[in-house]
Amino acid sequence: MSAVRAPSVSVLGVLGVNDDELLRRLANAGLNFTVDEARHVAELLGRDPTVVEANIFNTMWSEHCSYKSSREVLGKYLPTEGTGVVLGPGEDAGIVRLATVGGRSYCIAIAHESHNHPSQVVPNEGAATGIGGIVRDVYCMGADVVGVLDPLRFGDPMGENGERTREIVHGVVEGIWQYANALGVPNLGGDVYFDSSFDENCLVNVVALGLVVEDEIVRSRIPVEARDSDYDLILVGKPTDPSGFGGATFASRVLDEERALDDKYAVQVPDPFLKRMLVVATREVLKLARDSGAAIGFKDLGAGGIACATSELGDAASLGVRIDLSRVIVAESGLAAEVIACSETQERYCLVVPRELSSEVLRIYNEVFELPEICHGSGASVIGEVIQEARFVLEYGGATVCDASTEQITTGVCYMRESRPREAVSGESVLPEGLDPRAVLLDVLGSVNVASREHVYRHYECEVQGCTVVRPGEADAGVIAPIPGAAVGVAVACDGNPFYGAVDSYQGGAIAVAESVRNIAAVGAHPIALTDCLNFGNPEVPEVFHDFVEAVRGIGDAARGIGLKDSGAPIPVVSGNVSFYNQSSGGSAILPSPIVCCVGRLVDVSCHLTMGFKSGGHSIYLLGKRSTRLGASAVLRTVVGDAMTPVQEVDFEDERRMMVAVTDIAESGLAASCHDISDGGVAVALAEMVLASPEDARVGALVSVPRLDGTAAALAGVTVPSGCDRDLKLMFSEAGGYLLEVGPRDEERLLEILEGSGVWYSRIGTTVAGVGLSFTEVAGGDFTLSVEELARPWTDGATEAMR
Amino acid sequence: MTESRAKIAVIRFPGVNCEDETRRAVESQGMECDIFMWNGPHERLAEYDGYILPGGFTYQDRVRAGAIAAKDRVVDCLFDEAQVGKPVIGICNGAQILLESGMVPGITPGKVEMGLARNIMPDRDGYYTRWTHLRIESDSSCVTCVMSKGDVTSIPTAHAEGRFVTNTGGLIDRLFENGQVVMTYAGLKGEAEPAFPLNPNGSTRGIAAVSNPYGNVVAMMPHPERAARLVQVPESLPGRWGAARRDAAGSRLVLTEPGPGGEIFKSLGTFIAERLHGSGGEA
Repeated sequence: MSAVRAPSVSVLGVLGVNDDELLRRLANAGLNFTVDEARHVAELLGRDPTVVEANIFNTMWSEHCSYKSSREVLGKYLPTEGTGVVLGPGEDAGIVRLATVGGRSYCIAIAHESHNHPSQVVPNEGAATGIGGIVRDVYCMGADVVGVLDPLRFGDPMGENGERTREIVHGVVEGIWQYANALGVPNLGGDVYFDSSFDENCLVNVVALGLVVEDEIVRSRIPVEARDSDYDLILVGKPTDPSGFGGATFASRVLDEERALDDKYAVQVPDPFLKRMLVVATREVLKLARDSGAAIGFKDLGAGGIACATSELGDAASLGVRIDLSRVIVAESGLAAEVIACSETQERYCLVVPRELSSEVLRIYNEVFELPEICHGSGASVIGEVIQEARFVLEYGGATVCDASTEQITTGVCYMRESRPREAVSGESVLPEGLDPRAVLLDVLGSVNVASREHVYRHYECEVQGCTVVRPGEADAGVIAPIPGAAVGVAVACDGNPFYGAVDSYQGGAIAVAESVRNIAAVGAHPIALTDCLNFGNPEVPEVFHDFVEAVRGIGDAARGIGLKDSGAPIPVVSGNVSFYNQSSGGSAILPSPIVCCVGRLVDVSCHLTMGFKSGGHSIYLLGKRSTRLGASAVLRTVVGDAMTPVQEVDFEDERRMMVAVTDIAESGLAASCHDISDGGVAVALAEMVLASPEDARVGALVSVPRLDGTAAALAGVTVPSGCDRDLKLMFSEAGGYLLEVGPRDEERLLEILEGSGVWYSRIGTTVAGVGLSFTEVAGGDFTLSVEELARPWTDGATEAMR
Repeated sequence: MTESRAKIAVIRFPGVNCEDETRRAVESQGMECDIFMWNGPHERLAEYDGYILPGGFTYQDRVRAGAIAAKDRVVDCLFDEAQVGKPVIGICNGAQILLESGMVPGITPGKVEMGLARNIMPDRDGYYTRWTHLRIESDSSCVTCVMSKGDVTSIPTAHAEGRFVTNTGGLIDRLFENGQVVMTYAGLKGEAEPAFPLNPNGSTRGIAAVSNPYGNVVAMMPHPERAARLVQVPESLPGRWGAARRDAAGSRLVLTEPGPGGEIFKSLGTFIAERLHGSGGEA
């Protein structure tokens, strides 16, 4: 194992060093390794690692890169395969088939990640590079990014850290729009929750959705052709600088006030302008490769920089690479070899191309698109070559600074963490006596976690690329028609109510899946794939790890239980990310936050549904029985504050039946509008349907509260004894369900579908042109809220928190 | 028989990001369209009948939005082509380039007479995206010649710097008098000078689009390529286009018909046919 090394190569002494001394050396070198892990590296190499090697292993074995605490759990519970899956988890993005149009098989590539710690420390750049990183994951599959989504979790804007929280909100939103708008990708959705558990650790999750033709997919691996012919490694993009050095390890530990300044340098610097140029130029490069019949490899540089990307390219093909770090275009001279190898400078890709193509690839980037001129110092250069032996060799200044097997570097380590359940939440949800349902509805509508997100999403481009059909705020999911001229549509939504996770992590995961499926079904799409981003605290804390395991189990069960519409096979989880160590320096973890994204297919995008009521005189149907369990609900949090009582359990069979019925109804063109029931229950859902009607043609609703129960007595028009508690539970229960608006002409056929579906349903009222929202037969007396009365709290409720 | 189809070049500067959908919108009105690289070959620009500077963030909006691109040689070429009457449309960032180059309003050609300043909006800053209602103020420009003065249409806007301003006294009045104000933000029924959010950026007197004195060079902030087909219109949009969109629900055929932005590109085609080839578009 003893490679020839020049004497100047510095080495991290591990062998024969005692634990205390080794710990000191690791800290001095800025390494996050445990002592055991450092010894393991020396054992694998059969010698002391060079400083470069130590940094590479440190990065590759970080939680962020290696999934060392989560890999086993994910593999055990999540369904990842299916007939529509082209590529499951493992590469930069998952890929699933969408539709065949004109003989070409179009696929959706999707990736989902977190950029939590960077966004807490430097909100604007942190969030921007979050978008920058996730779109790179999709572009590098050969796909065009057609949309992004951004689920965000912030601290309490009115709490003791409120001022800092509002700064973070502002910075994060600004970072997202400044990057994604300039890049030219539409924002198709997302959500925002506020809770004090996120005061010191916000969550910035990002999803990117791409379109790619199946036979044009580019893999993140060295092609097998490199066994028989010479292949070069080309690095293109921003000149390498020290930014983001240590980023992966920074993401894999708890944030610490005292290290805040260091941490700032671990955040990368975004450049959407250069990214846009790379996107356009790379399209030409990929076309060149296709036209010349050349197999190539293509990978983005993310965590771990050059070292991570190139070793994974090699390991995926059981081949090796030899890279001369002095051939890397750098932004400043004098960078140490480990910085060049591991820095996480943004906006870079690595290509593996046949040597005879290299000069043309360089010409496209450097001359046709003039990268070095328009973006100072950027460009493409050959940095190394593929070697037949599966070794990862880095040279710098004539010395070999790294020589290890690619497999050893990429295989990483694996831990089974200790898991211990929390004490189960019990008891019954009790609402105080004498509440006025009208006042409660206005309070819930104006509460910070329910009110309109318009203030945020109007910062985001949602129509660039010209394919958007349904924008944020118009329905439960964003809808695009990404293949010009084709009928097929894509719906996408993400969800993850952290309050459910706080009560019951299993239900938190399961409900996130159910809700994201409802979101896309409510626009008429049926699910084709899921992704998940699992945000938790420190996995070394047994209760936190248990939360994590339970959430993953819930996601897996829901994906299998709800299933694909046609075959009933599990909805495949094709991509995802785990983010641990999200907690305050004081040690309290964030609420368990599994966030799920669902992608759906609309056979004909013309049949999509939006949530605004369309006309008066239509019937309103409720699908899905209400629950008396209000644990974690918006009404309990608004009225009582404490919502730690059991949550309603999601019934996968019911969810499946409803998804099938609603999409059948949409495809048959029988509904005028549709909205799923989530935060704030039926009452808030109805208010949102009124508020989404056109300003110049407002449509309200007249709804009978007992009919939300659908009891025989109520349906027969017999007055049943009503009670405030019962009525509020019917109005605000967050049990899964849908509201459908249907015109008289279509009602009979809609009823046929509902009857045949086995779904619980009730006709709860009618739409009324021009009037607001009225509830009848409700404790305390019938009441009507005008559009203006509904709009005020809903529009203003969160705005203050967001500026 | 040779068919004479107008041929449009959509200029791709570094950082533009609306070139593909702009090309599709042009093609959907029966014209030919190429995406033309900013760095040439410039001598081939003369082959085109009209030009579009699409939206995006040219050169990262360094200095000011559009300022760097306005100094590029390709803009000098467009200047020359515009002199012979060919249409040049700048959309959003493209509008910023046309103002920065002095092509619009072009009272003194080449002199920067107007700017597009940062949005002024109550209680918020930065980028703002919203569908706006627009009143047609001039029906002789290359983007409005199939419409009538006083018509109200709806097209989305999305920008952080879209407020038409000038420090030349009397210029705004003169532009209105000359018919160089092409569109203004309006209320649903065409009411003039509405407040935010109907005027999404605080633009002076609600100005949304301005042309040169001949109407062949137009700087417009709204994005017609995002409204080229009915399917791109929001169902909840108030006004006739929203109603048309809701009526089309479920019908793929109707949804693919032209939307409000389609009229902008149709105007471009008509403008070229009438002004350059004589009416009827004969070769």
